[in-house]
Amino acid sequence: MKRYLLVIIVFSTISTYLFAAEAGMPQLDPKYWASQAFWLILVFSILYLSIAKFYLPKIKKNLDNRENKIKEDLDEANKMKSLSEKKLKEYNVILENSKKEVTKILLESKNTLDKSIQNKKETIEKDIENQLTKAQKEILELKTSSINSINNISQEISSNIIEKMSGDKLNESSIKAVVEEVSKKNIGKYL
Amino acid sequence: MQQFSVHKIGPEIKIAGIDLSFTNASLFMIISASIIAIFLFFGTKEKKIIPDKIQLIAELFYSFVAKMINDTAGSKAKPYFPFIFSLFMFVLLCNMVGMLPYAFTVTSHIIVTLIMALFIFIAVTIIGFLKHGLKYFSIFVPSGVPAILLPLITIIEIISYLSRPVSLSVRLFANMMAGHTMLKVFGGFVISLGILGGWLPLGFSVALTGLEILVAFLQAYVFAILTCIYLNDALNLHH
Repeated sequence: MKRYLLVIIVFSTISTYLFAAEAGMPQLDPKYWASQAFWLILVFSILYLSIAKFYLPKIKKNLDNRENKIKEDLDEANKMKSLSEKKLKEYNVILENSKKEVTKILLESKNTLDKSIQNKKETIEKDIENQLTKAQKEILELKTSSINSINNISQEISSNIIEKMSGDKLNESSIKAVVEEVSKKNIGKYL
Repeated sequence: MQQFSVHKIGPEIKIAGIDLSFTNASLFMIISASIIAIFLFFGTKEKKIIPDKIQLIAELFYSFVAKMINDTAGSKAKPYFPFIFSLFMFVLLCNMVGMLPYAFTVTSHIIVTLIMALFIFIAVTIIGFLKHGLKYFSIFVPSGVPAILLPLITIIEIISYLSRPVSLSVRLFANMMAGHTMLKVFGGFVISLGILGGWLPLGFSVALTGLEILVAFLQAYVFAILTCIYLNDALNLHH
C-alpha cells in the first residue's frame, strides 16, 4: 500500500511538473542563447572533425574497395568467358576437322573396296571366259571326233547292211567315199 | 511549453561574463552526436566486402548524402561532402532523439537552427566570392529578364538571398516546435477527456507521432538539400 502511494505521489509530481503552464516560448528567452550557441559550435565541430577525418575516409575506402573488387571480378569473369568461347571455337574446329577426316576415310575405304571388288569381278569373269573357251574347244573336239566315229560306224553299218542284203562284199573304200559324201551333205541337219 | 525550456545542469560556467553553462540542450546535442559517432564507429569497424547490417546502414547514409550532393551541386561540391554529411546526420539525430518521450529537441530552438543557417549562409557567401570574385554579385541579376523588370527583380533577388538564413532556420525550428506542441496538445486532451473521451486524441497522438518521425527525417533532408542548393549557387554561377 505504501509503495502504491509513493508511485502515485511521484506520478502526480511529474505530471504537474510536466504540464505546468508557462508563459510564452522558452525559445525566445535569451538567457541561454550564448550557452546553446557555444555548445552547438563545440559539439558540432568535434562531430564534424571526427566524421571528416575518421569515419568518412573509412567508409569511402571500403566502398571503393568493394567497387574495385566487383570490377576485378567482372573483368575476370569476362576473361573467363572469352577464354571459354575461344576453347569452344577450338573444340568446334577440332570437331569439324575430325568430321572431315571421317568422311575422307569413309570415302577412301569405299574406293578401295570398290576397286578390289572390281578386280575380283574382272578376274572371275576372265576365269569364266577361259573356262568357256576351253569348254567350247572341248565341245568342238568332241563334235569332230564324234563325226569321225559316226562316219566310221555308219560305214561299218552300211557295209554290213549291203553285205547282208546283196550278199557280196563291196569295196570298202567306195563305201567310205559314199558315206562321207552323204554325211557331208546331211551333217548340217544334225549339228 | 515545459518541454522546450532550457535549464542548467551542473555548475554555472561563465567565461568573460557570458553564461556558457552546461544545459539540457547541450546534453542532448552531446547525446545526438554520440549516437552518430557510435553508430559510425560500429558501421566502419569491420571492412567487409559483403557488409553486415550496421555497416550497410552507414554506407547507405553515405551514398544517400553523396548522391544528394552530386545531384544538386555537382562534382565541385565534393570538398564540402563531410560538412553536409555531418550536418544532415546531426540535424536528423537531433530531430529523432527529440521524438523520444522526456527528451529535449535541440532543433526546436531558433537560436540553434539560426546559428547553423547563419554559418551556412556566411560560408556559402565567402565561397562564392572566393570562387568568382566580384562576379558573384551577378547572382542577383538573372539573365533573360526584360530591362524594365530588372531593377525590381534584382531587389527581389537580394531580399531572397538575404532571407535565406532566416527561412532555413525558421523552417526547421517551426516544424519541430509545431510538431511537438501539437503532440503535447493532443496528449493534454487525452488527460483532460479521461478514460471515456480520451481515445480519439490518443489515436491522433499516435498518428501524429508517425507523422512527426517523417517530418523529422524530411526536415533534416530539406535542411541538407537546401544547403546543397545554396552551395551550388556559389560554386556554379548559373545566372
